[in-house]
Amino acid sequence: MAKSRGENGPRAPAAGGSLSGTRENLAPGPDAAAADELSSLGSDSEANGFAERRIDKFGFIVGSQGAEGALEEVPLEVLRQRESKWLDMLNNWDKWMAKKHKKIRLRCQKGIPPSLRGRAWQYLSGGKVKLQQNPGKFDELDMSPGDPKWLDVIERDLHRQFPFHEMFVSRGGHGQQDLFRVLKAYTLYRPEEGYCQAQAPIAAVLLMHMPAEQAFWCLVQICEKYLPGYYSEKLEAIQLDGEILFSLLQKVSPVAHKHLSQQKIDPLLYMTEWFMCAFARTLPWSSVLRVWDMFFCEGVKIIFRVGLVLLKHALGSPEKLKACQGQYETIEQLRSLSPKIMQEAFLVQEVVELPVTERQIEREHLIQLRRWQETRGELQCHSPPRLHGAKAILEAEPCPWPTLQPSPSIRLPPDAPLPGSKGKVKPPKQIQKAQKEQQKQAKARGQLDEPPTLSQAKAVAAAGDARPPQDMPPKDPDHQDSAPQDSAPQDSAHHRSRESLTSQESEDTYL
Amino acid sequence: MGNRNEEDYNFVFKVVLIGESGVGKTNLLSRFTRNEFSHDSRTTIGVEFSTRTVMLGTAAVKAQIWDTAGLERYRAITSAYYRGAVGALLVFDLTKHQTYAVVERWLKELYDHAEATIVVMLVGNKSDLSQAREVPTDEARMFAENNGLLFLETSALDSTNVELAFETVLKEIFAKVSKQSQNSSRTSAVTLGSAQAGQELGPGEKRACCISL
Repeated sequence: MAKSRGENGPRAPAAGGSLSGTRENLAPGPDAAAADELSSLGSDSEANGFAERRIDKFGFIVGSQGAEGALEEVPLEVLRQRESKWLDMLNNWDKWMAKKHKKIRLRCQKGIPPSLRGRAWQYLSGGKVKLQQNPGKFDELDMSPGDPKWLDVIERDLHRQFPFHEMFVSRGGHGQQDLFRVLKAYTLYRPEEGYCQAQAPIAAVLLMHMPAEQAFWCLVQICEKYLPGYYSEKLEAIQLDGEILFSLLQKVSPVAHKHLSQQKIDPLLYMTEWFMCAFARTLPWSSVLRVWDMFFCEGVKIIFRVGLVLLKHALGSPEKLKACQGQYETIEQLRSLSPKIMQEAFLVQEVVELPVTERQIEREHLIQLRRWQETRGELQCHSPPRLHGAKAILEAEPCPWPTLQPSPSIRLPPDAPLPGSKGKVKPPKQIQKAQKEQQKQAKARGQLDEPPTLSQAKAVAAAGDARPPQDMPPKDPDHQDSAPQDSAPQDSAHHRSRESLTSQESEDTYL
Repeated sequence: MGNRNEEDYNFVFKVVLIGESGVGKTNLLSRFTRNEFSHDSRTTIGVEFSTRTVMLGTAAVKAQIWDTAGLERYRAITSAYYRGAVGALLVFDLTKHQTYAVVERWLKELYDHAEATIVVMLVGNKSDLSQAREVPTDEARMFAENNGLLFLETSALDSTNVELAFETVLKEIFAKVSKQSQNSSRTSAVTLGSAQAGQELGPGEKRACCISL
């Protein structure tokens, strides 16, 4: 990417180019390359100069971020199989999302193969669609001068994200540069939101898996669809979620709940960093990635479940509470969690099995919101409702839905309009379509006694963007789907997967 | 000021670090409690804390130092942070005038949330970067005097005055506590605040008291 950004030095904002707020003046010389090597090594632990660093498979200097013990090695054959399955899914994404979403969910729970993780996250989050809908937008933001107030704060944070990761260890290196670009772009994209410090670790994780432009759009999706309001002024959303978490804890672990109550420990004292960084700063890295795989697929309920699991296992029994006599000791306990609790296999299992649903979260949300309004008045920041995962995000996209194929179990007459083949945003049509899909599925199952409720379909349609759709992007080869007259093998594949079409069970992708 | 076994203490004093993002709060914390400093300590999100038990005279005092994000946005979630604090270090970066210019706002924030009797020290950090100074010592000292604040310039990087800063604040708190216990009647002078880290220890163990001034 031959941009001219590097001219004035690693972190040249459009105006001035001063590296205010950083400690560049502590580096030995003006030469960036030399400074590079010795940067971040002024710490006491490496006072003897350039220490030899071994990097683990995630890019972390060995010993940091719980990088020890790569216990969960997936056998190579399994990994290859998963990769080819994922490739198939990614190449037929819309079909899979429409008809085999449960399978996608299952595969996300098993862990996305590292080689495809970045791509998969873009598909799951809708970041890929966003990029396609906004060609050139990131470049435009990238080239614009940012608000100096935000740039100042962002610059101060660049060397403070995952400093033990090879990508971010070098001052002014490409990692930090890209981090700057992504965060700056967001402040320009949403000037009313500006910058919130927790966005930096989020963006950093994304950058470890994809280039800046893609990372930017995934960040947008996280900030607007998955966790709306988390990074906004007043931080009301995170406060509400703290109350929701605590409330949900009562059923999950009455012992932990009681203890936290008695100690009068505000949820914000332990869950703020957990939730705002989606556990990127809490868990060993392999667990972070597994959590994020599920999070992108299923939404914020994964974050809640992880929090609940950690609380339950850290404070959920009398023996564990023996060490937590006071408020301070309790919070300490929550900050130095046992590696066993955070270990990948254990944690994922617990999270998948924890019966906490979107419905419960939304119900609790209403309760806490009402409580807030009674005690603190109206919310000052009104965020859009959050979307619970990949399927909800996809369905919230305004018409035309990107290349959605009609169900093969019903043949349309050749001259019938394809759903989503033309037209602009038409909420009624969207509702009709949602209903139609559900009816088709019901028909396929042979049950027509339970028509999908209008409200359910409406909720899905209404949860989307209020913004008008962008111009139709030129047809992307990726999305060049075949006409309804599919070849027979593909048809039968879809027929075979009919079992997974049902949305009757707690598919849990609707409110 | 000597050190004491962490498990053995008479008092717990909660002290909060406040000030703009990037002034060095986290490194002051790590320098004081663990004698560590890092150029790349992580951005504080949420709440961090650390403790160190020190001797003040014959009393063992556990200093519980709390640290949080300095960014404006986080002001919305800090009331739990201030609860029960008896001391505060209001930190600015003496190489960035902007971080000093907002000190009054921080003071207001502090008094809005904490006890009026809280002991406050104004700390000008990064004294090692003398060539880059943007806040004259006398100016800051005057401001501190006029507002009833203690004042010191420190460097978490080279340790200058870090011990002294915390020690001074803790001594001041201790003096207030002692005065309080002298002034009050025979009943227990120390009030156990509801959200304190105090605890009832068993017989034979040193009693730890949380102080609300």
